[in-house]
Amino acid sequence: MAAARKHKRVAASQPGFLSIKSGNDGNNSNIKLRKRVNKNKKKNWGKYSDIQDVEEFLDDVRLQERTTGGLISEKPDDVLFFVDTGEKAKAKPPAPQTTKKGKRSRPLRIDLILQPDSHIEAPKNILAFQQPNAKKERRMAEKAAKLASKGVVPRRERLLQLRRAAWASGIHLKEKPIANNNPDRSFYDLWSTEAPETADPYYLEQTKRKLIKRPEKLNEKPSALPAIEVVAPGGSYNPDLFSHQDLLREAHEVEVKKKKAEEKIARQLAVNEELATEESIFKEQVEGLIEGDDEEPEEDAEGTAVGPTATQEKKTEKQRKKEKARRILELQRKTERRVVARRQQLYQLKSIRAALKKQEERTKMRQAQRKAKQEAQKSMPRRLGKLKFEAPDLEVQLSDELASSLRSLKPEGSIIKDRFKSLQKRNLIEPRDRAKFKWGNKVKYTEKRAFKEIQ
Amino acid sequence: ESRRRLCILKGIYPHEPKHKKKVNKGSTAPRTFYLLKDIRFLLHEPIVSKFRDYKIFIRKLRKAYGKANWSGVERLKENKPSYKLDHIIKERYPSFIDALRDLDDALSMCFLFSTFARTGKCHVQTIQLCRRLSVEWMNYIISSRSLRKVFLSIKGIYYQAEVLGQTVTWITPYQFAHDHPTDVDYRVMATFTELYTTLLGFVNFRLYQTLNLVYPPKLDGQSEVGLKAEFEEDFALESESYTEKLSALSASLARVVAQVEEEEAELDQFPSEAGEQGNLEAREKVELEQSRQRTLFEGLKFFLNREVPRESLAFVIRSFGGQVSWDKSLCIGSTYEVTDETITHHIVDRPSVGTQYINRFYIQPQWVYDSINGKLLLPVEEYFLGVTLPPHLSPFVEESEGDYVPPEKVKLMALQRGEQPGQPLLQSPCECTRASFSQDIIFTENEEEDDEEEEEEEEEEVEDEPSDDEEEAEDEANLAEMEERRLKGKSLSVKVTPGKVKPENRARAAEEEKAEEKRLAIMMMKKKEKYLYDKIMFGKKRKVREANKLAAKRKAHDDASTTDKKKKKKRS
Repeated sequence: MAAARKHKRVAASQPGFLSIKSGNDGNNSNIKLRKRVNKNKKKNWGKYSDIQDVEEFLDDVRLQERTTGGLISEKPDDVLFFVDTGEKAKAKPPAPQTTKKGKRSRPLRIDLILQPDSHIEAPKNILAFQQPNAKKERRMAEKAAKLASKGVVPRRERLLQLRRAAWASGIHLKEKPIANNNPDRSFYDLWSTEAPETADPYYLEQTKRKLIKRPEKLNEKPSALPAIEVVAPGGSYNPDLFSHQDLLREAHEVEVKKKKAEEKIARQLAVNEELATEESIFKEQVEGLIEGDDEEPEEDAEGTAVGPTATQEKKTEKQRKKEKARRILELQRKTERRVVARRQQLYQLKSIRAALKKQEERTKMRQAQRKAKQEAQKSMPRRLGKLKFEAPDLEVQLSDELASSLRSLKPEGSIIKDRFKSLQKRNLIEPRDRAKFKWGNKVKYTEKRAFKEIQ
Repeated sequence: ESRRRLCILKGIYPHEPKHKKKVNKGSTAPRTFYLLKDIRFLLHEPIVSKFRDYKIFIRKLRKAYGKANWSGVERLKENKPSYKLDHIIKERYPSFIDALRDLDDALSMCFLFSTFARTGKCHVQTIQLCRRLSVEWMNYIISSRSLRKVFLSIKGIYYQAEVLGQTVTWITPYQFAHDHPTDVDYRVMATFTELYTTLLGFVNFRLYQTLNLVYPPKLDGQSEVGLKAEFEEDFALESESYTEKLSALSASLARVVAQVEEEEAELDQFPSEAGEQGNLEAREKVELEQSRQRTLFEGLKFFLNREVPRESLAFVIRSFGGQVSWDKSLCIGSTYEVTDETITHHIVDRPSVGTQYINRFYIQPQWVYDSINGKLLLPVEEYFLGVTLPPHLSPFVEESEGDYVPPEKVKLMALQRGEQPGQPLLQSPCECTRASFSQDIIFTENEEEDDEEEEEEEEEEVEDEPSDDEEEAEDEANLAEMEERRLKGKSLSVKVTPGKVKPENRARAAEEEKAEEKRLAIMMMKKKEKYLYDKIMFGKKRKVREANKLAAKRKAHDDASTTDKKKKKKRS
């Protein structure tokens, strides 16, 4: 931009400057089209001011620069002119051997075409020569050199040296944390009374050095059941006859209940109606065709059936007044009756008292009942998830399965399942289904058409 | 999933809402709910970030594996993030007693996991840790002598101990009784175990401290020397043999301070009012009983045959002061051999034994357990080889008044009271052998057995018999004298004797008075109260009636079975 301006100035100072291209006719047309416009608007400045001459001049300058590498007017004379001293000696005769050689050395035409024909040098790529953060790095290097001259070792170097020294002496600076389930892990006295923190509790909490206090409510157990429920005495490996019988009876009852439920479902799902026989199908098809007489009266009934009449007669003034009077009278009678009843209650005091007492007793009883129910609820498994808690099967050995000695005892049930169910029963975890595996999409089988046709 | 783990570790449990519709956007479909405040509390936990680290670690590891970047895998594994649950334990159990109260679950879980096979169901390290902790616990119970009850059920063995005034119950599975049920969520169980191992570790540490024992447990110096055996290499590697010896439970533990001879710690007696006196006496009585129970097997020497459950029996016997050993090819840590003459009880669980020593009882394992539950050494005859055992009663049942009590228990209670129903208590093996001969139990004695012993025994018998005869003779003489005197007295038919003061039976009078008072009180009852009282009494009576019925039934059954046996015997 600055260069262009400079050229413009140069052109103005040279009135006798001749442009290479003469554009006289263009000037004429411009004059012809001249139009008066307000120049107080910026938009019109560019639009209606005549810059043709400047443009042309600039074009000319660019052309000169491109073709000769600068303004011709600025060139020294000996570049522009030469002394003609007649023809020089003839050019060397083109030798046949050189042609061959020349053919080889001559560049390809395409390369010649692609060669830039402008004499202006391409602008330099500044970024290619620039170093990022050069200044900062230079300064840092200077600082480091200054420190090194003083004998100060940088931090990283120092730490590295320390680490190396530690490694050499066999001490690890940072002990590796031992995993939680490492069988050789150590324990200490967790409940020993340690020195109380003196710092501000708020500060400690905010800096996460002190944990948030655990709410008291979390220490309550979600169920009143004991952790270990000992098996009934009948579950002994060598049980007393009667306690064993008791246990068997219990198991039997559970089994009977299950069976009943199953039977009920089976009963509900059973097909009650008889299967259709040929006769019944025929009857169904024929029905309605034979007995056609009944239809007519039905139609009649439908015809006579009429909906409620839309137009109701309007009430007269007299009727309204009568109704109103009746209403008022009714109200009066009611209030009167109420008053009388209240007065009458004076004489019923005894019975009222009794009724009140009865009611109170009933509420008390209900309260007790509710409380008892709540207590019972505490030891019941709650509904905590999609599935209901299912009590595990009772572990029972039948009389002929009982072992005669400890050696031949065959343990019943599994303890891990018992523990798992106990956790569920005590509401510590919700009952869950076992995770089911899903193997992609379902496979669909089809018969190819060609195969079908063969069959 | 990590949230679920966190909830379990922190002790936050799901909650059943009172109004399902309100919390579930109007739907009543069952879902799992937690309290919002609880979850908010959860987020303050520093472990949350550790879990996150672990998740990232897993992701990086998987990536490194996928790219076969083995050096990267190595480096990652070296820097595996880990976390501790110490602060959670402290937070959940602010005092040591709280932790003790919640130990049932922890113990059962640890004992269970320690029996797992080391196959992929959970980390091998966890199993090893559980084993270590359970062995430590058993060693503590042994040295503190705090075991109270044992019950062999078809599921597993229930133990009950009294630790620092807290009753702790736990269940252990039988050895080799494992199937892995498929409908158990092992991840959840592993999470619980993670918490419980930490808890049990800290509790163990504290308990060892209270007894002045070294933690981690060390074997006592003397017993360690005794345990040196040449068969050690057969059982365990050099590195593991020590822990194995610890888990053998046959030697006592080292103490921080050398143990002083146990003094009888008597209760401090404070002068108190008459009302409390009775209370104090009762407490003293309980104390005495307990100390007697603690030293139940003291001085007895047991030997376990190879078919009995070794660990359970060793644990039980040692925690009541007995000495125990086994065949040295059975397990590491046996202290004496079968041939030891001082062995008093040989526990066998097979119909017959080849070589028998005359100076020891050959009994079935149930005797040990029943004796512990009965708090006294039961007569051994009912537990000899090949004898049908009496039922193993549950010590966890406590009958209230009027309930049906099995006759075996009645007998046991009588024994506890010091009575001797039926057969006399046998105290020495020699007597016992005689008794067993009289009961027609045929011992298959080996010919190879030392003749000397037999001779000795015969000699003893010979010695015994004349003494009996002498006694009888004395008795007869006494009787004759008495008879004579009586006859003499009869001749002087009339005689004036000084009047005797009839001793007033104070206790009886008091009882009568009490009964009278009670009757009067019943008479004075209001109608309503009377009705209730009658109802209660009726219920009690009904209970008694039912119990009687059951007892009669049992008697009939017993009679029938005995007659059957007799018939069979006759036939054979």
